[in-house]
Amino acid sequence: MKGGLGQLKIGSVVVTSAWRLIKANPAVWAIFALIVIFSAIVPEKFLSVSNFVAILKNFAVTSMLAVGPTFVILLGSIDVSYMGVWMFGGALVWLLYPYLGLASIAIYPIFGLLVGLFNGVVHVKARVPSFILTLAVTAVFAFLTTYVRNVSGVLTLTVPAYNFLRESPIPYLPSPFLLALPVIVIALFIMFFTKFGTYFCAIGSNEEGAKLAGVNVEKYKTLAFTLSGLITGLGSIAIFVHLGCQTRVDFDPSELVRGLAAIVLGGTPLAGGMGGPHRTLLGALVYVLIFNGLFLLPGVDPNHLKLYVGTLLLGAVIAASRALRGALIA
Amino acid sequence: MSAANPIMEVKNVSKTFDRVVTALDNVSIEVRGNEIVSVVGENGAGKSTLMKILVGVYQPDSGEMYYLGRRVPFPKDPLDALRRGISIVYQERGVIPHLKVYQFLFLGLEEKFTKLGRLQLGKIIGLAKSVFEELGLECDLTSSIYELPPSTQKMVEIARAILSIKLMMVGDGGSEITPIIILDEPTAPLSLEERDELFNYLLNLKKSNSFIFVSHIIPEVMKFSDRIYVLRDGRVVAHHDLSSEKVTEDQLFREIVGRESYYDLWAKYVYGVGEVRERRAILSVRNLAKKGYFENVSFDLHEGECIGLFGPAGCGKSEIAKALYGEISADNGKIIVDGKEAKLKGEPYVRIKMGIGYFSGETGKELFLFWPIKKNLSIVNFEKVTKKPLKIASVISFKAESSLAEKIMKKLRIRAPSVEAECYSLSGGNKQKVSVGKWLEKNPKILVLEDPTIGIDVGAREEIYEVLLEMKRNGTAMILVSDDPKEYTILCDKIISVRNGIVQAVYTNEEFRRLMGL
Repeated sequence: MKGGLGQLKIGSVVVTSAWRLIKANPAVWAIFALIVIFSAIVPEKFLSVSNFVAILKNFAVTSMLAVGPTFVILLGSIDVSYMGVWMFGGALVWLLYPYLGLASIAIYPIFGLLVGLFNGVVHVKARVPSFILTLAVTAVFAFLTTYVRNVSGVLTLTVPAYNFLRESPIPYLPSPFLLALPVIVIALFIMFFTKFGTYFCAIGSNEEGAKLAGVNVEKYKTLAFTLSGLITGLGSIAIFVHLGCQTRVDFDPSELVRGLAAIVLGGTPLAGGMGGPHRTLLGALVYVLIFNGLFLLPGVDPNHLKLYVGTLLLGAVIAASRALRGALIA
Repeated sequence: MSAANPIMEVKNVSKTFDRVVTALDNVSIEVRGNEIVSVVGENGAGKSTLMKILVGVYQPDSGEMYYLGRRVPFPKDPLDALRRGISIVYQERGVIPHLKVYQFLFLGLEEKFTKLGRLQLGKIIGLAKSVFEELGLECDLTSSIYELPPSTQKMVEIARAILSIKLMMVGDGGSEITPIIILDEPTAPLSLEERDELFNYLLNLKKSNSFIFVSHIIPEVMKFSDRIYVLRDGRVVAHHDLSSEKVTEDQLFREIVGRESYYDLWAKYVYGVGEVRERRAILSVRNLAKKGYFENVSFDLHEGECIGLFGPAGCGKSEIAKALYGEISADNGKIIVDGKEAKLKGEPYVRIKMGIGYFSGETGKELFLFWPIKKNLSIVNFEKVTKKPLKIASVISFKAESSLAEKIMKKLRIRAPSVEAECYSLSGGNKQKVSVGKWLEKNPKILVLEDPTIGIDVGAREEIYEVLLEMKRNGTAMILVSDDPKEYTILCDKIISVRNGIVQAVYTNEEFRRLMGL
């Protein structure tokens, strides 16, 4: 009898903590549901080792595009300069490799940091709306990347010397995923174990209140943009390796949507104030599961995948904003 | 219409918010013809909620409404209320400064004066003229609202309220109807002379209208009301018909606060005569000025002393407080905190570092409503909940954060399920306690208080006062800005009276009490 009660208690603790996790992160539902659905429809394809590896790779790419900007979105601003950092950062690595050797990969985080700092300072001091600003930054760097490729007369900006990074020391865990892990750890640490995460949320949820509580709002806004750039720069290394040690040379808006999709699907509202990188990681997983699952489905034209995913994002944004409004009223 | 028969009556109105906070509990009031009936009570007594139900902004949970003896449903929106002959003039933000008087008068009513899509300006201005004549209001119809003195602005607002009721009710034989106008703290933005002007105007309008006068200023209420309802904690605790009974201000005051007095509380903390303490000036303000708000403000604030800045709304007292805290920047003068001169450019984070904190009772201004209590408490106390394993990074210790929050919650008796409870789920009083709790732990040299107990019940008020007085005893100096004269008598050693941005006089607590008749 006594043992039974004890078991019941442990059971209820597990249930309540699982429930809390789901309640705090609605994306967990979606992950469960997607796994169950695709396992039921295409079990032999979906539950294969190769698909598992593909999911991890895709997850690494998607999360590396989205985790950095999440910090800015916490503020209630937005940062879409990650495309520019990723593309032109790679071009810089390619350009500087002949001079710096293997060390030139360090250009990525440095370049990211500088772009982020620039975004932050201009946004805060000149009060330029962040979306327009960072979109313009991405446009400029995307153009420059294409320009570098065209002027150099090469087809791709590939640095084969980094090919050794593509080999994973651990079976089944692809190297882009391993390269993404430390970046994820850094982001989560900043969010939960330093005051930065708290301050970003504070600014996003009640800027006036944050100011009154003694937060130097301008400084932390600039810091969030800088951090976003730095993390995107670090994360871009994983994407660089994933693409075969080269960078993207043509601008694709669906890649831009991908980062935002992960953030929104994860449940960080674009209005800021709550959420964080942990949710973005879940959102990235949702995005990747949908993308991979649809790809495996018979009768789905892979060429139309981007359309489906784009439409899905639209739906998610509308649903998320409605749900949020409900929460605010209740 | 006989004056004794009520035009409008509500019975047993109850309203709760979020199923937790009871704002109104079985309230019944009536409005008779051609009278000024006052509804008085403290902030949070339920006055505004009741008025919002009368004009259809809120729906009551239960209750009945009668109009001319007939049972009617509660108005479902303000337009519906207009059709019942009820309109409201809000305390602030009622006027639209850049409209011309006649434009404002007919705002939202234009469709009645439109022919083939064209506004019949001549007809509007003609009608406006006759309305103003009827109401005895003299002002240029083509001047912009902002050019008028505040009292005239209020009168125009009242005229507009009466006019809209009349136009709405024309179809229902509305000319027979006595409009009911609710005035929500109409005198708050006015000076004393302007108040008298407004009241004379109201007494004149009483011949053809009825007014519900919402206020907490006792002398005014006594002077101009025919009847008075006293609301406390959502209940009608007293009803006086001044034509048949005599009520003293003191009696009314006691009914409003619901206890003998706050002076016991004050006496408990006021510095004993025998206790001589050499107190150090912790804040010196010299010739502080901000153009258009205040000028030439100078005073010294000592350790453990509380100075109140007192005056009508808009007199500059809040701006002085905000300039001290750094929410706004002063243009001229000196602010010296503990011997160090502060830059005039306002930045709260700089001032906090110098030892100035800020606490406002305005819900949501300081709180992060969707955050757990513990985060709201630790945001100004990071140095107490972080460790520094590496030189560059402070790492938050969740354990320290929770235990800090638990300590404050226990000390302030914050009623919440746990330190994880999100602040929006707390009652007003408990929210305020969270706001003040973070400063209790921070222990700043100076704490600037703006309406620290606005909108919370009496019990919670006392608890907040206890906390503040304890901090004061431990040496924290305070600046108080409030709308409630009682609050000054409880917290302040000195009261500086401010009018039109200029310091008028400095009173001791006792002098101030005598002056306010408290």
